[in-house]
Amino acid sequence: MRKFVMTLALISIVAIPAAAQSIRIDFPDLEDRAEEVVDVTLDADMLRLGAKFLSGDDEGERAVRDMVKNLEGIYVRSYEFSKDGQYDHRGLVDRVKSQLGATWKPLVTVRSKTKENVNIWADMRGDRVVGLVIVAAEPHEFTVVNIVGPIDIDRLAALEGQFGIPKISKERNRD
Amino acid sequence: MTAIVPEAVDAGALPRAQSGDHDAFAEIIEQHEAMVFSLAYHFFNDRGRAEEIAQDVFLQLYRNLGMIESDAHLLFWLRQVTTRRCIDLTRRSRLKAVSLEDAGELRSIERHSDAFLDRRLRAFIEQLPDIQRAVVTLRYQEDLDPSDICRIVDLPVNTVKSHLHRALQSLRRKLGERP
Amino acid sequence: MNLDNDLKRAMRRESPPAGFAERVMQRCGAADSAAAAEVGGPTRRRPIWWRAAAASVTLAVVLGGYAVHRQREGERAREQVLRAMSIASEKVAYAQQQVRDIGSH
Repeated sequence: MRKFVMTLALISIVAIPAAAQSIRIDFPDLEDRAEEVVDVTLDADMLRLGAKFLSGDDEGERAVRDMVKNLEGIYVRSYEFSKDGQYDHRGLVDRVKSQLGATWKPLVTVRSKTKENVNIWADMRGDRVVGLVIVAAEPHEFTVVNIVGPIDIDRLAALEGQFGIPKISKERNRD
Repeated sequence: MTAIVPEAVDAGALPRAQSGDHDAFAEIIEQHEAMVFSLAYHFFNDRGRAEEIAQDVFLQLYRNLGMIESDAHLLFWLRQVTTRRCIDLTRRSRLKAVSLEDAGELRSIERHSDAFLDRRLRAFIEQLPDIQRAVVTLRYQEDLDPSDICRIVDLPVNTVKSHLHRALQSLRRKLGERP
Repeated sequence: MNLDNDLKRAMRRESPPAGFAERVMQRCGAADSAAAAEVGGPTRRRPIWWRAAAASVTLAVVLGGYAVHRQREGERAREQVLRAMSIASEKVAYAQQQVRDIGSH
């Protein structure tokens, strides 16, 4: 197994509003071939509404509530396939990358022949991160996440494992 | 292969609880509290901490009750959420140091006593890396096969088998047996 | 010594301290109260025409229909927020871990 990783500094942010870019992350061609699709589309209003229902008792939900309060949107598309070779990873990364303007900088690239490949780009205003795009590719699953608004990457990573909401099933429906 | 069979919950407790019946939710707690509490207890070897974790898990269940599809799903959900919480807490907190010297001394004095062996085993299990700890707990407390465990910990089945194998080797070494 | 049997014995299920279910139900009740307080939080200022609409909305609240609808919408939005952040944090954490692993070699 070979693993090639490039890394740049992970940067913390000050939550100051700034114009951020959302990108198109729908891939109808993938949706046709996918066995299951996760589709999450949350604009600012839905984020505020959802945040109101997050529990103050639960440490993880409190942390999420704190993180989303200044966001303008979160968009997720995840496509799961029944077998290998159902999508062109490089081609999809290029399609995402081609939408990113001059303010976007690559943060991390993880390449592996057997494990997950991950690309993360950040929309920068000076040293502030005002947007994030994550592309993650496994043999049977392709995921794109676009977070619009100021986000602390270290705090986002620290949320991992706190949710306990198991990924039992993925639905092909748009909420 | 062991199937994940739902334990006998009062027929209708789940849908009643989902409709807002608090008594029904209390029945669900009583049915599963030993399982959830014990998963956390065997992970941390600490009853106080185990109760805190178990309470958090049921509170989380209360808030997510609408997502549960069946009794089988409920059982799976509780096992997975509890296990994930334990693993996550291990990664985020300092591990309690358990002295190997103490355990060794205990071994030489109390070699043939089951009760002390149980305590030693639990102490050794607490020293295992988090995933190994989770796999051993699910295997021996819940009597699950690797094919069931892999769904709970979200790892390939061969990885689970490998973790189990390494954990048992480690435990045998600590007990002074031949691996 | 049979390790399998010893482990099954050492790892048998045990009950939590007495009163566990009651303590959980108390926390659930507290969580309900907190959520109800959040839903009824402050509203933004609205133009006059909206107040007439709000009066009829209030009636619907009294009848319970709107409150139930909003509750469901809010719960769904909450699940979606958690799902999205869960996926995002998982990917970022994985990438960070790979960076650390490489750095330690």
